[in-house]
Amino acid sequence: MLTTSRFFHSPWDLQLQSGAAFGPFTLAYETYGELNADRSNAILVCHAWSGDAHLAGHYAPDDDKPGWWDDAVGPGKAFDTDRYFIICSNVLGGCSGSTGPASIDPKTGKPYGLTFPMLTIPDMVDAQRMLLDHLGIDTLLSVAGGSMGGMQALQWTVSYPNKVRSTIVLASTARLSPQTIALNEVPRQAIYADPNWNHGDYYGPDRTPPNAGLAVARMIGHITFLSDESMREKFGRRLRTSGRYGYTFDTEFEVESYLRYRGESFTKRFDANSFLYLSKAMDYFDMSYGLPSLAHAFRNVTARFLVLSYTSDWLYPSWQSKELVRALLQNGIDVTYVDIDSNYGHDAFLLETDRLAELARDFLRRA
Amino acid sequence: MLNHAPDRADLNAIIDLIPRDAKVLDLGCGDGALLSLLVQKNHVTARGVELNEAAVRTCITRGLSVRQGNIEEGLADYPDGAFDAIILSQTLAYLGRPETVLREMLRVGRLAVVSFDNAGYWRTRLRMLRGDGFGASLASDDPPFRAITLAQFESFALHLGATVQRAEFVANHHSVSPLPSLMAQTAIYLLARRVTTLP
Repeated sequence: MLTTSRFFHSPWDLQLQSGAAFGPFTLAYETYGELNADRSNAILVCHAWSGDAHLAGHYAPDDDKPGWWDDAVGPGKAFDTDRYFIICSNVLGGCSGSTGPASIDPKTGKPYGLTFPMLTIPDMVDAQRMLLDHLGIDTLLSVAGGSMGGMQALQWTVSYPNKVRSTIVLASTARLSPQTIALNEVPRQAIYADPNWNHGDYYGPDRTPPNAGLAVARMIGHITFLSDESMREKFGRRLRTSGRYGYTFDTEFEVESYLRYRGESFTKRFDANSFLYLSKAMDYFDMSYGLPSLAHAFRNVTARFLVLSYTSDWLYPSWQSKELVRALLQNGIDVTYVDIDSNYGHDAFLLETDRLAELARDFLRRA
Repeated sequence: MLNHAPDRADLNAIIDLIPRDAKVLDLGCGDGALLSLLVQKNHVTARGVELNEAAVRTCITRGLSVRQGNIEEGLADYPDGAFDAIILSQTLAYLGRPETVLREMLRVGRLAVVSFDNAGYWRTRLRMLRGDGFGASLASDDPPFRAITLAQFESFALHLGATVQRAEFVANHHSVSPLPSLMAQTAIYLLARRVTTLP
């Protein structure tokens, strides 16, 4: 399946949750499949923290790296591009084509850096709504996402209750737990501590971005994406080289080598300030904020829900999905919930595509 | 948990007891066989709760909305009177806290349908007299369960403040009427909350 990057330039400003107005802005997006005549087969897929708009497929026949959820999106797959028109956009605040802290502020001619406004999950959803207006899509057959993408999917059902017919929420939560906020704060501190970060002012040809800080931040992330079981299976106590201890501070264990590799490669594709902004957007995410209970958040929601959690996910543990399901049931909402038995930790939502395919196919067929 | 085998004797009786177009919750719905039949035959709005992941996935394939979880914690989230009928089919004997579950069923549902195997069935009594024991075999990993007789269940319903609206008794796939406490292999009760008159 071939795909191309597209760009939506919003002519309107966005009214942010923080009170500020922001614009103009650009969203990078991709689409797959065909929109049907009555425009009723559109599914929006929302990406997670480090994702982008390149959901599936290849940019060219000789391009060997497919999009991030290629296992789940394509002809005959969970999100079947023969049946559905699928849209994925890079979030506002991201660094893969959409306006974010690394973009040029038209008022100053310089990158925003920390002058970029603080964003929330509802702000990202409002920006996506403008994109869909531009594409002529009034109602979504479904909105789906895992992790931070799941937060956006949930927010869609509340921000635009009449425009969403169903939602698929994977490994996510209706409000970040203190543990997850803590696991966002430590990576932030790693970036702040890198002198190259320079309070977010590091853009330009003769400057060095805070790669050391961002790599450590990503290493912490990768620990939280795995599970105790999956680490034992994947690495054990295996040594990288000789099979004997070197008694040095070199990278000896395979798990160390994996984390270093992941950390370093992340710095080649991700902007540290974007990472910070998106982490704060997640920390602020609490659908019960200012309400007497979480159930109140879903009072006007009409969408059907498929909620999936994964037994070994300790970043967004199953109890958070169960809390969400309870809040939905209290409103009489049609919910299907499965706690999928998996050893893959938080990564399971990207890896357990066979079981997801079966569930999503059956769920979407009813939509 | 317990799957509804398609030939299970109590299914038809349950289908007869459920009003058309009702909103129904099946506790321990297994692979969704009963709920699917209820959707086809009685056009109900169906919801289920089931502990087993594979069974839940089969339910979803059947197009049902099912929540994975255990029965005892599952009912607390529903508002009063959220369903027309709540079904507890062949599960009562295995519950750790049957009173809590039945009280919650009568709070959340207008009607409660409970089916169970009658421990007073004559063959069972005979088996006991022979000294063959009753309940899950010690050689099996089947979960332990309570032996429930009709008289025991009816006094339990009274204790809960419920009225028995109807009762169906089945043995060898046929309806039985005389001497149900001896002749019924399986009993299916339709309970309703007793209407309390306000002063």
